[in-house]
Amino acid sequence: MLPLVSITLFLPLAGAALVLGLPRPTARTVHGIGIGTAALTLAGALAMWLEGVSGAGFSQVEELQWIPVIGAAYRVGVDGISLPLVLLSAVLFLVAFIFTSSLRERPRAYVALALLLETTAIGTFSALDAILFYVFFEVSLVSMYFMIAGWGHEERQRAALMFFLYTLLGSLPLLLAILGLYLGSPESGFDMRAWIANPPLEGAAAMWALVAMLITFAVKTPAVPLHTWLPAAHVQAPTVGSVILAGIMLKFGTYGLIRFALQMTPEAFHKAGVVVLIFGVVSALYGAFAALAQTDLKRLVAYTSVNHMGYVIVGVAAAALTLDPSVRATALDGAVLQMFSHGLVTGTLFFLVGMIQDRAHSREMSEFGGLLKTVPLLGWSFVLAAFASLGLPGLAHFPAEFQIFLATLGSAPVAVVVILGIAIIAGTFLKALREAFLGEPRQQRHAMPDLSTRELLAVVPLLVLTVATGVAPSWVLDIIHQTTSALVL
Amino acid sequence: MSPVALPVLLPLLAAAAILVLRRGGPALALGGAVLGLAASLWLLARVAGGPAETLLLPGLPDMPLRLTAEPLTALLSVVVATVGTFVLTYAVGYMQRESGLPRFYAVMSLFLAAMQALVLAGDWILLLAAWELIGLCSYLLIGFWFQRPEAADAAGRAFLYTRSADLGLYIAVFILIGAAGSSEIAASLEAGGSASTAAGLLLLVAAMGKSAQVPLQDWLMRAMAGPTPVSALLHSATLVAAGAILLIRATPLLTPEVLLAVGLVGGLTTVAAGLIALAERDLKRLLAASTASQYGLMLIAVGAGVPLAALLHLIAHAAIKSALFLAAGDFQHARGDTALERLRGVGRARPWTFLGFALAALALAGIPPLSGFFSKDAVIAAALAAPGAAWLAPLALAGTLLTGAYLARALRLLWRGADETRPETGNAWMRVGLWALVVPATALGLAFSPIETLLGLPAPEAEATRAMLLGLLAASGGLALGWLVPARRLLGPVYPWARRGLVVAGGLTAWVGRPAMAIARGCERLERRLYAAVLGAGRASLAMARLVRRGDERGIDGLIFALVASVRAWGGRARTLQSGLIHRELAISAVVTAVVLVVLLATSLRF
Repeated sequence: MLPLVSITLFLPLAGAALVLGLPRPTARTVHGIGIGTAALTLAGALAMWLEGVSGAGFSQVEELQWIPVIGAAYRVGVDGISLPLVLLSAVLFLVAFIFTSSLRERPRAYVALALLLETTAIGTFSALDAILFYVFFEVSLVSMYFMIAGWGHEERQRAALMFFLYTLLGSLPLLLAILGLYLGSPESGFDMRAWIANPPLEGAAAMWALVAMLITFAVKTPAVPLHTWLPAAHVQAPTVGSVILAGIMLKFGTYGLIRFALQMTPEAFHKAGVVVLIFGVVSALYGAFAALAQTDLKRLVAYTSVNHMGYVIVGVAAAALTLDPSVRATALDGAVLQMFSHGLVTGTLFFLVGMIQDRAHSREMSEFGGLLKTVPLLGWSFVLAAFASLGLPGLAHFPAEFQIFLATLGSAPVAVVVILGIAIIAGTFLKALREAFLGEPRQQRHAMPDLSTRELLAVVPLLVLTVATGVAPSWVLDIIHQTTSALVL
Repeated sequence: MSPVALPVLLPLLAAAAILVLRRGGPALALGGAVLGLAASLWLLARVAGGPAETLLLPGLPDMPLRLTAEPLTALLSVVVATVGTFVLTYAVGYMQRESGLPRFYAVMSLFLAAMQALVLAGDWILLLAAWELIGLCSYLLIGFWFQRPEAADAAGRAFLYTRSADLGLYIAVFILIGAAGSSEIAASLEAGGSASTAAGLLLLVAAMGKSAQVPLQDWLMRAMAGPTPVSALLHSATLVAAGAILLIRATPLLTPEVLLAVGLVGGLTTVAAGLIALAERDLKRLLAASTASQYGLMLIAVGAGVPLAALLHLIAHAAIKSALFLAAGDFQHARGDTALERLRGVGRARPWTFLGFALAALALAGIPPLSGFFSKDAVIAAALAAPGAAWLAPLALAGTLLTGAYLARALRLLWRGADETRPETGNAWMRVGLWALVVPATALGLAFSPIETLLGLPAPEAEATRAMLLGLLAASGGLALGWLVPARRLLGPVYPWARRGLVVAGGLTAWVGRPAMAIARGCERLERRLYAAVLGAGRASLAMARLVRRGDERGIDGLIFALVASVRAWGGRARTLQSGLIHRELAISAVVTAVVLVVLLATSLRF
């Protein structure tokens, strides 16, 4: 039996080592190694997907001694909550490497960094040891910092620093919470499975641990008002940085919210659920309204992320508040699927905005017009992705948001006001489409070329998955539901 | 393959084929529509005598999607397929000189599939999905000429209006699924109690959006910026009907209070939209206002507790209004415009089209023996016999009177006046499509009693005679007034207001649009401040660090010379950090973090 999880996890790292180890490789070689490694990683993730998960607990677990004296070990494995995120990471990194294959500015460092980032992303989702999780969680931060600082736009240094400080300071509470859980657990060790099976803390200690974790994950997700790093980082980040940041790294926050906050301190979360719910509702609505006011396409997409991740928080809070297992399963199905869908759809949107910026060196929607006419492939891809993002049925966000709202009504009926967000986001995207894509083409934009093969290869797979997830969500939901329906809190 | 899926699947395959092949749009779309019509008829024949047919499809966990064919849904499927087939036939002729045809035919076919899914939906999730997808098709088709600013604006407005109202459908669906524990429509209609009142009112909101009821009627008028076949199919017979269909299917759920609300919304709309139509200066917009007004009549019937009357009027209206639009499209080709002023006398140049238009118009006005006479009769009878008759009956009669008036006015304008038509002969596709709909528009009355038997819903006998007399009086009175008296005189002081679409205090733009944008801008201002505050905090701590350093330098300067050098070095290093070499700082902080981690772990081991 092959250790599929470990192979998938460390393939990108091996690729990074190869890139750095080759003497004076050409840009072509470097990008080829990047794409090849990411493709192999995707194959590994698909093999994991075929292997599947079993009802309760984790599957495909692999374990090795690491620091036995403190009970920290190398433990990896997946369940229905993490496996879709692993697959999402593998898909997004592969298309990111394809998209970025035209980069000629320090490609070696870039590809190595991105491969390192891929290992940390898959590691964060598959780690079953708290120390291991924390290491991956933090190292991803460093890699992303360098990506923004090294290959971003004009004000990248400031944005990168803001990103780094925000999330580094935000991570420290999680470390404290992990130590608290460690100290509270009877058999000393960092095995997350044990902490989930028997939550080690109770009462005030559990509440403090929860608060600490909530701070960390609220920064990472991000939840209003701790979200200010996000638009700044996105606007300055290179296209692939934005895709990875929004598509994968934001999920670290919501994944942690479920894996740590909900599963390791369930009683405290049940008590504090209303507060989390309020943060989720405020985030979703505030993000939607802030998006509506944007004129810069990239900032607009960044704020819709705040809105969409707000729905995830609402879903998790609804799951924590309810006592009905079927409502809880619906809420978590929706929350996890929302993470998956958001990765596909927002990834596509950031790619497309990046492609517009590559051509026009501007992202102000008022400077465009009639893009459907000048660049039809790009334009219609954007239309499709925009409608996916506003939650149109048949596209990826609808089944997720439907389940989140359905569960919210069953769990905390008042919170269903959050549904206003889908009308506001609709207004946001319709306004953007009207300004930039419909109408008469502007004179000076007539010469824009349409999507190249490289760009199509980056965007089309994501759009296909977006439609597949919307039309037949069961291919993902079956995996998710296996775990959420067996979840005991 | 269960036959229930065929009416959905065939147009969907056509849409996919057109998108892939990028050619043969008319043939493929028409083929899909004709085969879909055959499938619908077959389906109706199967379920007419036998049990309902259901197809389960994988959906959400524990909530499968279902397509259900029972007499009502199969009948609606036939209506949709019929109108779709003939409008597409017409479109082959109407659109032949346009570019971007693959897109047009693909989206029209997609629309037919989605609309069939909506009428055949047996569960709320599929219904909601289809409901939103027809909204997407509407957006894409209104915006077919997306380079034209008015079409681009109208497309966005139509989608946004209906999407906002759809929130009602979302929440109603959540309530119903929560109460029934199942997403099946049939199972959830027995909810009862406060849940059903709330759900009923929310369904009404959604229906108001789709069926363009007051105050959400404005999008439909603007939607006329799309191609005329789109207006004929989506914005008269099918998409707009979705609201009425929803309420007809949900009738068992509606409590007396909700029924009254439905009836009042319908009554208000039929009168208000009738007034707007009477003052309208554009033929297509006049027909759009008329559409809203007729759906108002259907809502009156639902509110009166007689969904059968609403259904009959819906079917008659589908044929009549599409025929009117198709005729209007022919006039439009003759004069290159739809403004009534430009269309004066076009009827004499296009006598056959005018005859079709006139027959359909008289049918809509409710002149016997045309179809609209019977259906309107049923609506008025329902209103007269309803618990809220004191409200509903006068509104229904006023709506009928106005229908006659605006149609007579249109007929007169189209007939009188000089002939300045460009010499352009109509084409066979358009003629076939038009007459294939004019015939049912006139003769559908014959089908009404078989439909009643099919559905097992006999028409209520109460008030039949009074309804017929009052209805005839209102219709003929309306026709006479509209023909003889100019709209301006007829409406008097209301005329200027009706010209502006009876907008109250700036309308929805002022009541919803502007406040939403104001909130959005408020959030944006707050964002800028938050960002500035975070940056400010960062700068403040840097300044503090500098201050401390300077104080240290000064204090230490006078004391220990040896330390000065090290402080300078430290300061120099800090300066280089500020110059942007942050990775060095990172390395330091990573090392420090690691040390702290080790120390913490080491201490924790002792516990």
